[in-house]
Amino acid sequence: MTVIELVKKFFMVDLFKGLWVTFRHQNPADLVTEQYPMERPVISDRFRGQPRLIKDAAGRTICTACGACALACPEKLIKIGSLRDPETKKKVLTSFDFDMSRCMFCGLCEEACPTSSLKLSPEYELALYTREGMQLDRDKLENGIPRKEYEK
Amino acid sequence: MKSILGYLHSNVTPGEAGNLFWVAVYVVLVFAGVSIGVIFMNWFERKVMAHMQVRIGPMRVGPHGLLQPIADALKLIIKEDLMPANADKVVFWFAPVCVVMTAFCTFIVVPFGRTHAITDMNIGVLFMLGVSSLGVLGVIMAGWASNSHYPLMGSLRSGAQMVSYEVAMCMSVVSAVMMTSMATGTGTLSMIGIVQAQMQQRTWFAFSFFPVGLVALSVFSIAMVAETNRAPFDLPEAESELVAGFLTEYSGFRWSLFFLAEYTGMMAVSSIATTLWLGGWLRPFPNLLGGRNWDLAFSLVPGLTFLALAAFCFFFYRRMPQIRSMRASAIGLAAFGCVLGLLGIIMLLPGVRERVQDIYWFISKVGFFMYLYVWGRTTFPRYRFDQLMTIGWKVLFPISLAVVILTALIGVRQELFALVWR
Repeated sequence: MTVIELVKKFFMVDLFKGLWVTFRHQNPADLVTEQYPMERPVISDRFRGQPRLIKDAAGRTICTACGACALACPEKLIKIGSLRDPETKKKVLTSFDFDMSRCMFCGLCEEACPTSSLKLSPEYELALYTREGMQLDRDKLENGIPRKEYEK
Repeated sequence: MKSILGYLHSNVTPGEAGNLFWVAVYVVLVFAGVSIGVIFMNWFERKVMAHMQVRIGPMRVGPHGLLQPIADALKLIIKEDLMPANADKVVFWFAPVCVVMTAFCTFIVVPFGRTHAITDMNIGVLFMLGVSSLGVLGVIMAGWASNSHYPLMGSLRSGAQMVSYEVAMCMSVVSAVMMTSMATGTGTLSMIGIVQAQMQQRTWFAFSFFPVGLVALSVFSIAMVAETNRAPFDLPEAESELVAGFLTEYSGFRWSLFFLAEYTGMMAVSSIATTLWLGGWLRPFPNLLGGRNWDLAFSLVPGLTFLALAAFCFFFYRRMPQIRSMRASAIGLAAFGCVLGLLGIIMLLPGVRERVQDIYWFISKVGFFMYLYVWGRTTFPRYRFDQLMTIGWKVLFPISLAVVILTALIGVRQELFALVWR
């Protein structure tokens, strides 16, 4: 042990260093927390949150009811109902049921979709009062889950 | 009636004057003041700790969480008052009472100013140390009466810790008491006498016999943290090992009594340290910067401080987010600022400012120690029990002994030299 180290140990320099660190961080500019309901975090577009069905500019669904997402889903939680349009001979989407309570937000459905109509949106506030609320039908997927805004 | 009004012109504490009415008034005032101090400390500690940990701390109840301690107190009072089935009922009931009583009793002799003390005892320091160490009895009672393992372990630790740190604490107190005899030849244990001795010797005892006084102060300020069971010496309530130590079985109002006693104890030992080493109620440089003008300048400081605090409140009022849910607390903050400003103006009045400045300087010195408490709590991790004992017995105790011997030697240095050169 050198003399300097001995002196440092005697005067407990490391303790004062620690005190200086905590003292320095009192600066309000250092704050990293946010006041959640009032300040919203900025969520990346790649965040996998609530699933949504995207509509085109005219308001029609772009889902072709191909069923690739239902096949890709490891939990088999997507149920697609479709009809064949007798005139155009195309499949038309009639229902789209998504059981979010079993979803693990892996995003495989999103990747499998050939028309990019199914998307896991960055919407992250998914808490609900009932399990039934987790069963998303086509309306909820297209227009979002209606939620009540609370004051305070 | 005559004696009641007559006291106002006297220059002694109500205890010395033997005036029962004013003693009662002072007791109520001190009790209320200390309780408000505890409420404020609760908020202040959480806020300072939060900022040191790069958080914000309480923000929702009242402006910047100012009403949070009151909300907490209400919650604790409303809570169910549990008592374990096999607890010793009487002792369980009496333990928090004992702790609170001893903590508040110490404030009998604390001099907030020459006239602002309940009484002046000629054994003031001894009384304070004695009564505050009675608090450990309450802690042990709490641990024993709970009839549970963790509280018992916690109270045993607390007992061992308090007893072993008392030694170092008292030794450093002895050195300060010895310093009081320097100018006059007779020392004193009276709290007011100690402050007056510092006035006479023209120095705070922290700086006399440099660095002996400073070392004594540091020993005392480490020992007092251990004495009040605060972090980093909060082993009796080490939650990682003992749940909450002796507090485990307590809830609701009883728990809040322990809480009250803890913070009151912190203030009590801080005021011992202030009185003994930091010149008690004396303003900075009472001799060096003496005279009319300096007296006036320093007597304006308390009022100006309150005005500055009011300005601070208005600054934060302007910075409040302009949303409906924050409206009430913004108005509350502005009102609080108005109250502070009014107090500041009252403190600037000629008759009041001379009376108030003693209390102001005393409280700001105590507040410095309070900040040290919080600062140490956020910075240092908790010690192990053997480390605690090592610090107490192998480090602080020898240092404090050495301080006592050195103080005595330096105190009689002239006689010693005379003996040697004869």
